[in-house]
Amino acid sequence: MIHVATAVMTLSGETPIRGGIDSDVALAARGDSSAFERLYRTHVARIHSLTRRMLGRDQADEVTQDIFVRTWQKLGQFRGDSQFSTWLHRLAVNVVIERRRSFALQRERLTDDPAALDLVTVAPGRTDLTVDFEHAMEQLPPGAREIFVLHDVEGYKHREIAAMLEIAAGTSKRQLHRARMLMRKHLNG
Amino acid sequence: MHEEWTDKLSDYLDGELPGDEREAVESHLAGCAPCRNVLEDLRRVIARARSIQPRPPHQDLWAGIAERIEARPASDKVTPLHASEAQRPLRMPSRRISFSLPQLAAAAVLLMALSGGVVWLIVSRPEGLHYNQSNAGVQVPRSEGSSADVQVPGNGGSSADLPPSREASADRRSLGEGGQVRRDDDVQAASVTFADQQYDAAVADLEGAVHKGRGRLDANTIAIVEHNLQIIDQAIAQARQALGADPANSYLSSHLVEARRRKLDLLRRTAALTGETD
Repeated sequence: MIHVATAVMTLSGETPIRGGIDSDVALAARGDSSAFERLYRTHVARIHSLTRRMLGRDQADEVTQDIFVRTWQKLGQFRGDSQFSTWLHRLAVNVVIERRRSFALQRERLTDDPAALDLVTVAPGRTDLTVDFEHAMEQLPPGAREIFVLHDVEGYKHREIAAMLEIAAGTSKRQLHRARMLMRKHLNG
Repeated sequence: MHEEWTDKLSDYLDGELPGDEREAVESHLAGCAPCRNVLEDLRRVIARARSIQPRPPHQDLWAGIAERIEARPASDKVTPLHASEAQRPLRMPSRRISFSLPQLAAAAVLLMALSGGVVWLIVSRPEGLHYNQSNAGVQVPRSEGSSADVQVPGNGGSSADLPPSREASADRRSLGEGGQVRRDDDVQAASVTFADQQYDAAVADLEGAVHKGRGRLDANTIAIVEHNLQIIDQAIAQARQALGADPANSYLSSHLVEARRRKLDLLRRTAALTGETD
């Protein structure tokens, strides 16, 4: 008996990826674009939501495509140490962060200046956004928004966020609180 | 509301405060209703954030991804299924080619002339097109640069004992009684049928190989392959249906071609796993 994943791996004479990995991942890692399309369709909603919330709607489509192209290129490095979805998500976060850095926004928006909080206001006339939580989230200042998304939506810890964004954990905490207080205003209308 | 306390509420909710600070916050909250309200609001914000669900993009992004990944393999190399494939490059380097408007117009005129010539040759053949119960095939006039004659297996051919694929059956509906392609059929439809018949023959051969070798695959593998074939067949059927309503839609045409290519590719890979094509 031959199992597809194992068989595909051994066609090249290489050591098979260890068991437990979804066969589509194994097939895609060997160049099967149909298998990769299935992976795309399984994960695109989560990845696109991440990019949309982190970067805004304007860039979400393009960056989502970049993420999946990068995934395709790096599939050979996936060894099943974690769930594929976890690996993909982390790769996506890295691409998003790279993109933000390329716009030179990171340093400006994550300064640890206490006065920055005073400058943050909810746009006048936008209180209707209280009914659309996600839309309200997109209105957050970018620095606060990405930490809010990573911590409260995606479930990363402050120390992980600090490492990814190369900031102090204290900065991450302050930005998170800032974001939550702004979101509270939206919720209360 | 006291900012010196509310500023600690996020850390308090996240369990980030050391024990003594936590006790101090709780003590303050016990006697301060405004700060308790802020705490409840923050809890609502966190709960909402954790409950929002992913939403897919408004448009399908796959086409753009597929275009880009087709130009580069997933890993350093793509494992060929046959030794002979290892001797040639998997993909030719892509080149961006552009034409001016006059060049495109000239090309369009040339294409129309060539197409007209081919159609004229087909229609004017005295014996016409035929597809019968014997092994005789449809003879496509050879034009310069074209492939060899297309041999379409009849029912007595090598694939006669194979169950026809659903889409192959659908394709054959374009044939007349007894497999004859009627001379008065729409010429464009007939020319499309050549490709369909050639494709059907390849699908039938591969299905036969998979059928013969399925005993070498485990049940899980067979289930995966059949499931994927089912998905592809559905995509083909939907594309055909949509094309029926909008025959000139080039996107639908390319989608159909791509779906058929994927079916052939999956069958080819599966047949290779069984060893029936070695």
